Amino acid sequence: MAKTVRRWEVFPGRNKFYCNGRIMMARQAGVFYLTCALIIIVSGLFFAFDCRYLAEHVTPAIPAIGGALFIFVMATLFRTSFSDPGVIPRASAEEAAEMERQNEVANPNSPGTYRPPARTKEVVIKGQLVKLKYCFTCKIFRPPRASHCSLCDNCVERFDHHCPWVGNCVGKRNYRYFYLFILSLSLLCIYIFACVLTNLILRSQDDNFVTAMKDSPARYPFTL
Amino acid sequence: MDAQQSPHTKVFIQRDFSDGIAVKFQTRYPQELEGRVDRTTYERTINNINEMFAEAEALSTRTCCESCFACLTAYIALMCIDTYYEKTLKKVRKYLEEQNQTIYMSRGVMLIDPAERGLRILEIDISSIDTPQR
Repeated sequence: MAKTVRRWEVFPGRNKFYCNGRIMMARQAGVFYLTCALIIIVSGLFFAFDCRYLAEHVTPAIPAIGGALFIFVMATLFRTSFSDPGVIPRASAEEAAEMERQNEVANPNSPGTYRPPARTKEVVIKGQLVKLKYCFTCKIFRPPRASHCSLCDNCVERFDHHCPWVGNCVGKRNYRYFYLFILSLSLLCIYIFACVLTNLILRSQDDNFVTAMKDSPARYPFTL
Repeated sequence: MDAQQSPHTKVFIQRDFSDGIAVKFQTRYPQELEGRVDRTTYERTINNINEMFAEAEALSTRTCCESCFACLTAYIALMCIDTYYEKTLKKVRKYLEEQNQTIYMSRGVMLIDPAERGLRILEIDISSIDTPQR
């Protein structure tokens, strides 16, 4: 009884797969856990301490908006980290052989042993000449704007960069989620900062500033 | 991934970039299909595939609304429903399967879904053993 082998089990790149192939991450994912921890701890402190005061004294919409932002940040972070950035599958052995054969035909004066390296293929895109580079690891001519990630050992379409904070490459298929993650995280930071400031200001209007600081989580580093 | 028992020739149809970087395959008729599949049938298949990809990548109100709605639900909706692009990719796969079953397999030719090769090439498997029926 032949057992079907899933593609992720024999994937040639340096990615790690979880949840039966549904989650795809880079090999070194330690910094991703740091990112998650930072976001969760800061948001947790915000909801635990500042929101209680602000929900009573200002409006209960403040934890609601904060909660929505936090969910959006985590959702986009998980989408960026766990999805395929646009990895181009490597060429099959037959395709690579065909490319070799075509190159030998183009170079009849250097037959046999070692073929010349670093081939580029020129392609006309809407009247403009573009050089496609050959990737020796993946054995393909990379489409325009594709690049090879040395950390993940894959060619990625519209490769932006490999982000260690997110634990994955950022390419065509997860660029949208990455951008929204960055945007929403900035908004969350600004929002939490504004709310914390409001909290301190309101409390120091009731008492003085030192008592306000003592009531907030800022006292913890000072008591240690 | 079966072991190939019979000798196969493979033809790789490259992307046609003349109209930009949208997904489109070259409609040039490969010599290896001479005598097996006639030119018009082959070109009709390729043109249909190109049309489907063009439709998938076109910016329409449907795509716009779908993206906005997905964004508002923090992309959790995408875990339940397929996007229009994914639906069109499935349509291309079904179309190729149907074309293979009705036209190409009986002549010893098989077209491989370009999605299997990262939308870079359209692979054509030609079995060297089967003789053309017509």
